[in-house]
Amino acid sequence: MSDSFNQISRRQLIKLGITGVGIAGTAGIVYGCNQSQVNKQKLQAAKIPPLPENAPQINQDYHPMKLLRDFDYGKVKQENGRTVREFEIVAETTTLQLNSAVSYIAWDYNGRVPGPTLRAKEGDRVRILFLNKGGHAHTMHFHGEHPVTMDGVKAVHNNKATIYEFDAEPYGVHLYHCHIPPVTRHITKGLYGMFIVDPPQDRPPADEMVLVMGGYDINDDNKNELYAFNGIPNYYKQYPIPIYQNQLIRLYLLNIIEFDAAITFHLHANFFDVYPTGMTLKPSVTADDITMGPTERHILEFAYRYTGKFMFHPHQDLIAESGCMGYFDVLPQTS
Amino acid sequence: MGRIKSILRYLLLSFGVALLIVACNTPQPNAQQESQTNQTQKVEVSNENQININTAILSELDKLESELNIPALSDKIQANRPYGSTEDLVTKNVITSEQFEKIKNQVTVREIALTGVAKDVDYLTKLGLMKGHMMVAEELLDLNKPKQADPHLGHPVEEIYADIEEQLNDRQVTQFSNVLTGVQELVKSNPKSPQVKTNFNRAMEAIENAIAALPESERKSPTFVLKAINGILDVAAYEYKAAIHDGKIVEIIEYQDSRGFVEYSKDVLYKNIAPELSKIDPKANEQLKTDLEELFKAWPSPIAPKQAVLSPETVTAKVKSIGKVSRSIT
Repeated sequence: MSDSFNQISRRQLIKLGITGVGIAGTAGIVYGCNQSQVNKQKLQAAKIPPLPENAPQINQDYHPMKLLRDFDYGKVKQENGRTVREFEIVAETTTLQLNSAVSYIAWDYNGRVPGPTLRAKEGDRVRILFLNKGGHAHTMHFHGEHPVTMDGVKAVHNNKATIYEFDAEPYGVHLYHCHIPPVTRHITKGLYGMFIVDPPQDRPPADEMVLVMGGYDINDDNKNELYAFNGIPNYYKQYPIPIYQNQLIRLYLLNIIEFDAAITFHLHANFFDVYPTGMTLKPSVTADDITMGPTERHILEFAYRYTGKFMFHPHQDLIAESGCMGYFDVLPQTS
Repeated sequence: MGRIKSILRYLLLSFGVALLIVACNTPQPNAQQESQTNQTQKVEVSNENQININTAILSELDKLESELNIPALSDKIQANRPYGSTEDLVTKNVITSEQFEKIKNQVTVREIALTGVAKDVDYLTKLGLMKGHMMVAEELLDLNKPKQADPHLGHPVEEIYADIEEQLNDRQVTQFSNVLTGVQELVKSNPKSPQVKTNFNRAMEAIENAIAALPESERKSPTFVLKAINGILDVAAYEYKAAIHDGKIVEIIEYQDSRGFVEYSKDVLYKNIAPELSKIDPKANEQLKTDLEELFKAWPSPIAPKQAVLSPETVTAKVKSIGKVSRSIT
């Protein structure tokens, strides 16, 4: 008995201790944030170059160049004095031309891979109306905190809809994906997306964009044959992402590659600040290469001093050369 | 001693909570959110006899269709999913607000436990899907294609079993997920083992036993069984669509899934009710028999042909027509 007593008391104490530190810590962060708020007001809004006209769409719901900066804040409603963000997501099948030789039947959310980037502020109520039109059972399992009934592991069968509803917390870069086994197949087929929860006080203005690293197992051999940023292999290699020189870039980066134990993300000719899992307001480290396990995600911030086309890619070079490759096209600063 | 332990635990917990409350006296957005969250959850309690417009099958929705006397309303309700609230029936122009007033107490968007016939239809549908997976797995094992059989042995336990798990005890059926897993594990690790056949038969028997737990009156009722058939065929049509690109079959797992579903519907479920159906409604029976035969032509063999025999549109149309005929039978 004394053992379990000790366990309980220790657990309780640890809990209290953590909570105490948590509160103190939060206060500190909020204070720090208020300070930087003052500086922030002096900062100008982010400058974003026009989209390159030659970059093609994949279908009417899926344009990788637009998808980069396409944040879905949902339909906003006020209920009982709270902000509710309502999102509508349909799981379906879409044929994607992955390169000149491979057309692939993807399973996706809303006709695109990754699915919509859902975005809310910490503490908002999030309501997702989810309809499955994919044949197989599918779900939406969110990373983040929520009650067990909203965990998205219970099968939603074909032609049925369900409602996932929970509070957006904690702030950070999170994700959602289908959780029907074999999860490897449901994820590599394309059933994933990013879920960004913004901190209560906005981060400084930046040119914000989303990159999701994914893999495709074309022949069901539990190995990836193709890889991509945002669903289409080599898209940003062929159509570099225009950004401005000296403009702060805030990159929301997710690794959702199955079958490979971990991959890196490397940015050429630059260093980035890392905000791990997007759960801090201050960077933890600066690097030009970061290792990420499956579903690991971070905010990376950087600005380019020099103009020109700079590569970004995992430094598992075979993976980079199998489609996970892109360029930033750094354009001269406009005055 | 156990009691002392629980009292101690209680005291410690209360102490902890008290401390937390003190600590949280400064404005804490989280505490406010908590209470509001609970409020919202309380509202979610719903009436047992309500129809969930997000999940109900057509024959359930038919109750609303006939009450409001709007032709094809059930299809329209399904086509406009998902609904965030029942009022969405009006905002999505499915029905008028006057019509909504008449039925608003009968509908919900919250998860409800199915009851009565709807629950039993759902149960048979799920078990039928399991059987369909197993049938095509068996065909592939017989063709000495254990790798291709593998995903179909996995789907019953991975995608479906959780939906019936809780009901099995109430229906006095022994849990059988370990039996299903047993076949798949053996086929993965030792596909040539003579034990595969034994394990497979045991799994089929377990599913059959679960089906036998339904009242005989339902299992023999053509209208009841047709509801399950249509649920299964609906899944088959979507899977078939997911298998085909440009007239070619490119995803063989989905081709085989859908084959198993249609095969089980046609050769087992329909066959069992055909004699009775031919007495009640011989014309509908003939129609269904022909339609099922025609439909099955899309799956000439367990090994997928390169070129699709029927287009996904044709398959969907045939499934819809089978549904229409089925629902005309009273």
